[in-house]
Amino acid sequence: MGLEFLARVRRSSLIAGLVIALAIAAVAPWKLAAGFTAGLLWSLVNLALLQFIVLTMTGAERGTPAALTRLGLAFAGSLVLFGAGAFLLFQLPAMALAAGFTLPFLVLTLKGASMALLESALWRRLTASRWQSALVLLVLVGGIWFGVDHFRTAPRAIAQGTESTQPEKPAGAHESAAAPEAKKPEGPKEFSNLIGIIAEGAIHKAEETHTEVPAWAKFLEHFEVIIYSLFVALLISVVSISVANNWTMIPGPLQALLETWVEHAYNFFTGILGPKYGPQLVPFLGTLFVYIYVMNIFGLIPFMHSPTSNLNVTVAMALTVFVYVQFMAFKELGFLGWLDHMAGSPRDLVGWALVPLMMPVHLIGEIAKPISLSCRLFGNIFGEDMLLVGFATLGVSALSALHLPFGLPLHVPFMFLAGIITAPVQALVFTMLSTIYFLLMLPHDDHGHGEHAEEAHHHAH
Amino acid sequence: MDFHAALGLGLPLGVGIAAIGSGIGLGMIGNGAMQAIGRQPEATAKIQTAMIIIGAFAEALTIYAFVTVFLLSGKI
Repeated sequence: MGLEFLARVRRSSLIAGLVIALAIAAVAPWKLAAGFTAGLLWSLVNLALLQFIVLTMTGAERGTPAALTRLGLAFAGSLVLFGAGAFLLFQLPAMALAAGFTLPFLVLTLKGASMALLESALWRRLTASRWQSALVLLVLVGGIWFGVDHFRTAPRAIAQGTESTQPEKPAGAHESAAAPEAKKPEGPKEFSNLIGIIAEGAIHKAEETHTEVPAWAKFLEHFEVIIYSLFVALLISVVSISVANNWTMIPGPLQALLETWVEHAYNFFTGILGPKYGPQLVPFLGTLFVYIYVMNIFGLIPFMHSPTSNLNVTVAMALTVFVYVQFMAFKELGFLGWLDHMAGSPRDLVGWALVPLMMPVHLIGEIAKPISLSCRLFGNIFGEDMLLVGFATLGVSALSALHLPFGLPLHVPFMFLAGIITAPVQALVFTMLSTIYFLLMLPHDDHGHGEHAEEAHHHAH
Repeated sequence: MDFHAALGLGLPLGVGIAAIGSGIGLGMIGNGAMQAIGRQPEATAKIQTAMIIIGAFAEALTIYAFVTVFLLSGKI
């Protein structure tokens, strides 16, 4: 605790403030976001100056002329800062400025409170057992969920009660009943799944009794794929953690499987990315493969649904890869190196002349990558599911004349096709292309080889 | 021609045409890979990986047509 703590506070409030400013700029006028950013920056500079002044006045060399000069400069700087603050106060919305100004103090308070909490006996008792802390977290999340829901719906219920919109209600219910019917023909039918059945049942019941659709049914209907993908992630995590906790010298079947996979993934990705970046990216890429593969074959289980057959999930994953690739490029190349890469690494006159052409080409190429990644995965898995539905329907309708309770299992061969070929190949393609995008953006080892070649050339002379 | 009739005629035809292109592409990829493996059997693993990836590229074009059909098939 000390100066390093203050530096950390500054850093986290800067990052959090920039994220908040971006969020504000997305939903509100830009002036609010600009005011927030300006207030935040002002507050941070002010804090830094104050820290500098206090350090100079209490440091070891206080009273020397050099220290006095620095002190004077700092005071002049804070005067300039106050002038700038007054100017900003007239230019930008005051509330946004105040919010930005308060953020570092908020971060300071929260950090201090969390540090105090971490050292307390209560916290130690709560985190003594893994299950106990998980239970506490669950209770907290549930409490917040229902609390927020209650506060959000309470004013609306009061308003409805006072206005007594009794005659309007059936009309509204009728409208909401008509809307899904109009929506239904859009898009093909899929295999029904567990969450979908529950949600549709609740919605159907609400429509029949002309009551409002319950919130949890709407939630289930909207977030069906997200629940499934989270469930898959949970499944993979539980299996991996349980195996990793019971690590033995003589591996059981699950441990042998995981060890084989990890070793293969390590060799595979390190072989492509090279020894420097390979080990760093193996956890991300290997997990990506396992995650996508399990999500792909999840739809083959009865009453389950492949999350990857929904565009939202695949776009989210492709965007994650895109952000990670750009982050690594910025980290390894620096901003100028990234610009140089985007301009096609101009080294001679022809290269510089081609910059205006190369820049948009590279930019469009970067943006096209996540689109093609997500559309490919979505299209393949969705198409596979549709194929299964089509053949299952065909099998049922083939025997419909006999009125039997079952149909011909015409879709079973295609299930093997999906499980053995499409699912692993698409997971491999997604992971492989992500690896290649990393490889293209990261600095190459060409220079090293070039120098060696030149040295050899010199030796030959 | 009616809008619905045009869609009903065009959508399957579109998938068929896309499948022709993809099929030619996949055939050429498989041809090249098989020849390469025949010439250099020790490089089989590397060639197969590259073949699968390029095959996925070629296949994706038909999938795009397929997705378009499914997105528009509700309007017929």
